[in-house]
Amino acid sequence: MAIANWGRFIVRAEIHSSSDSVVSYGFDLTESSIFVVTEWHAAIGTPVTVRLSFPKILEPTDVPARIGDIRVAGEPGEPGGIRLVFDTSSRDIREKLVALLERVNAPITTTAAENRPCRVLIVDDSWLIRDMFTYGTAKFFERPGALAVDHAEDAERAWGKLARSTYDLVIIDYFLPTEDGASLIARLRSDERLSHTPIVAISVGGRDAREATLSAGADVFVDKPLIFRDLFNTLRMLAEGPSPSRQAAERKAILVFDDSPFALALTRAALESAGFTVAIAGDLTSFESQCAAFNPDLILVDVQMPEAFGDDVALTLRRWRGVEIPILLVSSLDPNELARRAQRAQASGYICKGAGMSELVRRCRELLEVAP
Amino acid sequence: MMDDLLAKFLPQFVAHTRTRVAAAIGSTTQRDRASFAKTVSELHTVAGEAGLLGLTDVFPLVRDCEQKAKRLRDTGAEADVEVLLAALHHLAQVIEGLAASPGRPHDDRVTTAR
Repeated sequence: MAIANWGRFIVRAEIHSSSDSVVSYGFDLTESSIFVVTEWHAAIGTPVTVRLSFPKILEPTDVPARIGDIRVAGEPGEPGGIRLVFDTSSRDIREKLVALLERVNAPITTTAAENRPCRVLIVDDSWLIRDMFTYGTAKFFERPGALAVDHAEDAERAWGKLARSTYDLVIIDYFLPTEDGASLIARLRSDERLSHTPIVAISVGGRDAREATLSAGADVFVDKPLIFRDLFNTLRMLAEGPSPSRQAAERKAILVFDDSPFALALTRAALESAGFTVAIAGDLTSFESQCAAFNPDLILVDVQMPEAFGDDVALTLRRWRGVEIPILLVSSLDPNELARRAQRAQASGYICKGAGMSELVRRCRELLEVAP
Repeated sequence: MMDDLLAKFLPQFVAHTRTRVAAAIGSTTQRDRASFAKTVSELHTVAGEAGLLGLTDVFPLVRDCEQKAKRLRDTGAEADVEVLLAALHHLAQVIEGLAASPGRPHDDRVTTAR
């Protein structure tokens, strides 16, 4: 194991006292306490309820607690806040905390996780943050492929990537050029397809940035400089500990290449609702980059496109790129011609668009051996 | 699943297809030979979209238009212009029918233009 202490990770922490409510984040969670970063404090011993959560890792869990300690901000990476001491007299609460900590402390297993990496998009114009993630990925993950990190320098580029791919988590800096991070978060939350994407906001902006990003819909806010080890522990849980409700199909990735934006949107909607992770490409340049970055389990290629014939694309992938994953041709061409083209291209088969989306989804499940 | 997709995507399909078919009728009416190849390509795209959306009555109509457009592209014959225009006008009517009753995409009264 790369590091010994897995006891630290980041959660959203909502504190409710008899007179106040504050939303912030916490770390250093143990069976008996958690440290919450906040400017708010009350007298030591004040009773509160803290709701702990993190998308896909921890369902909102209300824990009765009291203020045990107050810490003023110190060096960078030592934010000020309060330590909440849990009232664990409730067996239910105690068991939930123990179960969570057991998951955090579990040894790395690579069975299910080997199927798909945890895909993270970092939206930050700072190269330092990107370099830190590259470093952290190598240092904190035993299996380098467990975390696939993608970058965008600004909101517009991020939006483009979000439109083409699916991410397990998006980390957004508040201070971005042109459009700020809160605005991007609001766009994600108002988009039907992206609205449930887990979002961690980061910033040096302190309280103002925290309030702006959380109001816009971020799940968690973390101050810069980042408490890096804690953040990576959280990512590790996302990558290696899928929640029980997560379907097997979610871990299979399909890349769809079609020149029709309508066909792309429709296909993606159908496959995503079937539980697959989907990336789309509308031209050759995008297809090339998605092939490299997205690491698909299956490729669907339209045949008649302005830039290339899909069967030529498939043949190039097979013959010159050594691609071995299934490739399906998808077209409204006559089935006999489509069958000939698929055979010539060494594709895994073909789907007639006229057969409809249900058949397309069924074939994808069949090829990827995913139960309906 | 298909019901949800249809409800969400049918209005887009109708809007796009209405525009494309109108453009195809326009260029064919004007005997704009330079546009014939584009018309073929557009109709091919529409056919695929209709097929994916499960519009089983619209799909063969568009395929039929596509075949007629290919023939016109290859021959440029006046007779083929008239044949394609008739098929396109019929397709336009069917698309308007979809727009008017989006809950009934599979209208069994629709007949393929010959």
